[in-house]
Amino acid sequence: MAELNANFVTKTVLPKVLKATVWGIFTFVTVYYLPLMLIPKDIPQNILPFDYPAQLLEFAVISVFFAVVGQLFSGTVIGCGFGIARALVIIAYFFVVSEGGVFSVTLPISEVTVNLILDISILLLMIVSVNLLSIAKNLFEAIALLTEKSTRIDFT
Amino acid sequence: MKIAIKMLSIATIILWIVIFFFSVTAVYSVMNVGINLGKVQMLPSSKGIIFSLPFSITNNGYYELTDLNLTTRVTDPDGTVLDLTETFVSSIPQRTNVNASHTIPIDLDTIMSMDHVPLLLNDSSFNVEIFSGLNFARVIPVQLSTNVTMPWGAPFAHFSVGTISVSPYNSTHGEALIPVSFENHAILDITGTLKLEFYNNSDEQIVSGMTPISVPSQQSYSDRILAYPRQQDISKLTGSGNMHVIFETPMFTVEWWEPYG
Repeated sequence: MAELNANFVTKTVLPKVLKATVWGIFTFVTVYYLPLMLIPKDIPQNILPFDYPAQLLEFAVISVFFAVVGQLFSGTVIGCGFGIARALVIIAYFFVVSEGGVFSVTLPISEVTVNLILDISILLLMIVSVNLLSIAKNLFEAIALLTEKSTRIDFT
Repeated sequence: MKIAIKMLSIATIILWIVIFFFSVTAVYSVMNVGINLGKVQMLPSSKGIIFSLPFSITNNGYYELTDLNLTTRVTDPDGTVLDLTETFVSSIPQRTNVNASHTIPIDLDTIMSMDHVPLLLNDSSFNVEIFSGLNFARVIPVQLSTNVTMPWGAPFAHFSVGTISVSPYNSTHGEALIPVSFENHAILDITGTLKLEFYNNSDEQIVSGMTPISVPSQQSYSDRILAYPRQQDISKLTGSGNMHVIFETPMFTVEWWEPYG
């Protein structure tokens, strides 16, 4: 029994954990470090509509969590559930952060107050579309897994 | 089913790459857009003056800037629109530089008409609303707006007429001295002819005087206008009445009524 457990850990659990760790690091680098490096450091904080490093970190934490969990439960219905949850969380996150797609910021520049309105609703629509595709993909995956399970013939 | 899942996975990955690529290049492009504002120029025109604000936009980004619109609206303290000007640049393609200027024509004849007499006599302030909008990469509309208060200096501030003194001049006419004073708070010098007409309580014109004046900006004017009323009219001059003030320049004429006495 102990040998079976050790076999299960080394052949199934360990590769998944390793894969999840690699995916987590890769996601963190792609989602947090890369954009942070690309954005110039000399932008004055007071002219930006939001604290972008903090927002980026929040998004990175969400992405890393779902990347790790998705890899750990990959090939299972729970993994598909997490995939759908990730898509919904990302949609909600972008809606909240972008204030429904229309940023409205008041910037004090010397003695004048400037109102800035940035309409990124098309970009938001693209993000929502991609996540809807992701939901559809995960649903198909879950259906395929369940179908495979129910139609599997046990010959033993 | 597996093919459909595979295709959806590929589509999702491609779309995420497109979004990521667009976001990064958009941020980079915004950082490489340069806006240079020139010095405000005041140019004479047939109807008055033109304020011109030259500006240039250098688009060193990856995306085109379209529908650049700069609108200024000048209103007086009562909210009356004095000027509404729009400057439109249809397209600023990537890696190009566009020079334009926003011109605000000031029609002095309109500004100094009877409707704006309080602006001639009292200092005030104009409200300048500035709206600007453009389309970034044809997908992200950006709008900027701000409010600026611009002080207005009255050209005939503290306008006053003192007591008229009349003395005999000849057998048919008398000599009247009308003390006039005001301060030119405007940014422009005042050069023209000032004419005063005095009416008594019964609205009969008693005397009128005229003098050429030239008052530099931020300077005071104080002088006496000489007039020659007829002997029979001198007795009709009452302690109070109405005064018609007419100021004429080659470009415009302004006139207003004021009580005296």
